[in-house]
Amino acid sequence: MKANNKHAAANDRHVITAQMLDKTFLAEVMKMKGGQDVQDCIQCGVCAGSCFASWAMDFTPMQIVRMLHLGMKETVLSSSTIWVCASCYTCATRCPRGLDIPMIMSGLKNIAIKENIPAKIQIKPKFHKSFADIVQKYGRIHEPELFLKISNKTAPKTMMQDAVFGLTLLRKGKLKLKAPKVEQKAQWSSLFKNASKEGAQ
Amino acid sequence: MNPEPKIGVYICRCGCDKEGNISATVDVEKLKEAAAAMPGVKAAEVYEFVCSNPGQQMIRDGIKQHKLNRIVVAACSPRMHLETFRRNVKQEGLNPYLLEIANIREQCSWIHEDRKLATIKAIDLVGRAVERARNLKPLEEKTVKVNRDALVIGGGIAGINASIELADKGFQVYLVEKGPSVGGHMAQLGKTFPTLDCSSCIITPKMVYVAQHPLIKILSLSEVTKVEGMPGNYKITITKRPRSVDASKCTACGECSRKCPVTVKSEFEVGMGQRKAIYQPFRQAVPSAYYIDREHCLYFTKGICKVCQKFCKASAVDFTQQEETIELNVGAIVVSTGYELLDPHYVKQYSYGLHPDIVTHLQFERLLVQGLHRPSTGEQPKKIAFILCVGSRMTQNGVGNGNGNGNGEEGDACEYCCNIGCMNAIKEAYVFQKEVPDADPWVFYTDIRAHGKGYEEFYARLRNHGVRFVRGRTAEVMPHNGSLRVRAADTLLGLPIEEDFDMVVLSAGLTPSQGTDNLARMVGIHTGSDGFFLERHHKLRPVDTQREGVYACGCALGPKDIRETITESMAAASHVASFLGKGEVAVSSEVAIIDDKKCDNCEKCITICPARAIVKTSETHVEINPMSCIGCGICVPVCPKNAIDLNHNTEAQLMGQIRGNPPKEDLSPKIVAFIEKNTAYAAADLAGQTRSQYGANVRIVSVPSVGRVGLKHMLQVFASGADGVALIEGEDSSFTGDKVREHLTRLKKELQPYGIESLRLVSTTTTIPQYPKMVETFEVFNSRLFKMGPLSPKVRSEIEKKLKEVQ
Repeated sequence: MKANNKHAAANDRHVITAQMLDKTFLAEVMKMKGGQDVQDCIQCGVCAGSCFASWAMDFTPMQIVRMLHLGMKETVLSSSTIWVCASCYTCATRCPRGLDIPMIMSGLKNIAIKENIPAKIQIKPKFHKSFADIVQKYGRIHEPELFLKISNKTAPKTMMQDAVFGLTLLRKGKLKLKAPKVEQKAQWSSLFKNASKEGAQ
Repeated sequence: MNPEPKIGVYICRCGCDKEGNISATVDVEKLKEAAAAMPGVKAAEVYEFVCSNPGQQMIRDGIKQHKLNRIVVAACSPRMHLETFRRNVKQEGLNPYLLEIANIREQCSWIHEDRKLATIKAIDLVGRAVERARNLKPLEEKTVKVNRDALVIGGGIAGINASIELADKGFQVYLVEKGPSVGGHMAQLGKTFPTLDCSSCIITPKMVYVAQHPLIKILSLSEVTKVEGMPGNYKITITKRPRSVDASKCTACGECSRKCPVTVKSEFEVGMGQRKAIYQPFRQAVPSAYYIDREHCLYFTKGICKVCQKFCKASAVDFTQQEETIELNVGAIVVSTGYELLDPHYVKQYSYGLHPDIVTHLQFERLLVQGLHRPSTGEQPKKIAFILCVGSRMTQNGVGNGNGNGNGEEGDACEYCCNIGCMNAIKEAYVFQKEVPDADPWVFYTDIRAHGKGYEEFYARLRNHGVRFVRGRTAEVMPHNGSLRVRAADTLLGLPIEEDFDMVVLSAGLTPSQGTDNLARMVGIHTGSDGFFLERHHKLRPVDTQREGVYACGCALGPKDIRETITESMAAASHVASFLGKGEVAVSSEVAIIDDKKCDNCEKCITICPARAIVKTSETHVEINPMSCIGCGICVPVCPKNAIDLNHNTEAQLMGQIRGNPPKEDLSPKIVAFIEKNTAYAAADLAGQTRSQYGANVRIVSVPSVGRVGLKHMLQVFASGADGVALIEGEDSSFTGDKVREHLTRLKKELQPYGIESLRLVSTTTTIPQYPKMVETFEVFNSRLFKMGPLSPKVRSEIEKKLKEVQ
């Protein structure tokens, strides 16, 4: 079955056994920045039904939480779900148990980077990193620079599309070539320093 | 008044010679010698089994021979044989409350191995019992006459059935109903699961029976506004709203209603139908009389019309009726106020209120009874989505949602399961299939809970019957091109599912009836964290409330189905009958008493009493109701005037037991443990039965609750040679863990000026099986005290001096 093949934790018999589960992972997830008591989840599926990006995910958010319960660390961290999540917060708004699922996804991203687990969507880590770097540098996003930074990971066709789109935006004055500036840069960078101190990658 | 105490001490070997359960570890002969030397002891005997017939005979002979008027039995736990010994001394004409037991088996011989230490401890325990016995007072078992009438609040199926059960047993019943008719939610239902009985066909006969029963008086349009008095003799004030129709004349012909020009949405039809301003909620209403809704009636709002009066052939319409106040005297109260549906507006993603075809399951019931149609177009729906767990099993509605708008408010969601949603939706899907030939019902569920008799089979039948079950809580419902689009995830496949439906039925959660809190305060009972009334004991007393003589049944206690409601109403009726049946109720004599002369009405005791037994009857008089009092004694140390005392655990008795007759060579450091007499004491017994070892320097004094122990007692404990005090409360006691900790902190603070370190006090709560935790507390405390050393003699002598000054 297709679903089984997706599980890195399952053995060649497609059976999950206790030995391949990481007992400490659940505690780690609960303790991490943005971690919550995921045991509160009743597996109702509101998040899965609400998620507008679920078509691009290999597991629904609900399945990710279920795998956290069991301790399927490898499968969770190598899944595309944690990178596809757009943090639109529809799931968290509707979750009857009050779980902040996008926050859990961000926490899992952090762990995945820390543990050097290659992301299924290669561009995503690079994108996040470049995005954060630019924001740290200028205090605001600067799209042309982001475009250049991730260009080596983008497929040529997508790059062309992005470039054309960028030119349109430029013509309409929605995009500035000059780097943006914000006031009180010092405070801004201390914010980033604190975040990385607390484990953000 | 009391003759000089002549105490007899009877020591049990609990076996033969040196092999006995007690005599193997305790030198009983030495114990006898020490006991005989204690002041007031006239006789001391040792026997193999004091609980046996010859043993009992020995005690009776002693009473005769030495004219003994106090008996101390040094044997096993009072939980074992207290009643045996009490019956025995009663035979010889001695008041049973003049007997005291020193527990030298569970608390001594079974937990120690060192013969010398165990003997010293046994002497101390007997010494304490002797001192307590010296101060014992005879008590009489009292009874109080009770009123044999009962009040039932709420006229749903629970209240109706409880009334019938009680009236059939011969009790006069007053059934109070807020609305114009009894029947409750059950009268609104179409069919019932899993047997598909017609709901109104099975409730109507019961309603008629209630109406015609000579011993049941229905008070419709009435609400309880005041509850006074005490268990067995409650005084109830009821406010009865005017019906504006003389119920004795009205023939329920319905002519008035047909002529009435005002039309409003019907409450009975849950907005799915209309009624007039003069109306009967439904045809089989009981009492069978019409009712004028003064909020909408043109005569009452604008002073015109009076059409109904003109057309009434029985001239029953009476615009002059006034609000009435009725006073009743009853012995017991049954609360059966039922539930209310949670407002689905609160769960915004289901768009309730945005489209007429999105209805609650109760509205759907009405639509089924009326002949199924879509409220928007009136056509027959072909495809219906049943959405379960709407507002149930939620701890919160997620982040960033702010206040739920609509009529619901944040916090409206219920964490508990609604208990009936699954089966009800399955039933409705089935009835829908029966009504509509090519019906296509879908049930979106979180977990199907089919836990009653025949429920699982019903569910299985429906699965093979063309009902589509989708496991996944619905994400959203959107009006879409004239139909309703439902989006959910099939969680078993991990795939989203999106489908258009003609109608959406929301199984909304069940919440406590409006005014539940208010009624709880009025009657003096509690509600739980879910907002429903709280039972006395979840397993063993499920229909009793915290207050004696007040019972509850049905959905007032929590969501449940009709079958369970009926069971509970019968149980409540049966408990009322046992409470009122004899016409009198035995009252425990171990209750608090108040001395009017000393009391200055400060009301401190009233605030602290967990049983609401203390009431201010007039400006200058505070009274303790012996029937409500649970004898915990928390009020005693709270009283600044020493006006309160607790029978059978009086100040003199407790102080005597604390002082005791200390043996000449005692252990040091010494720990006195005050333990609650039921749960914690049983835990200590269990420690003995399992032969758990703890220090022989721990001496147990049983108290009704550790709240009984105040500063005075603490000082006496330390003055009488203790170096540390442990307070151990049972976990299920009315004196909860938080209160115990608070109490301990207060005592520590109060003891500081006397030079007693706060580390010399310790407290914990325990359940019976948690006895190892209690033993561990003793051991840890013991090693701490060994390090600290005994209390300095200087501090001790100063406390002694101060105590003498106080007395």
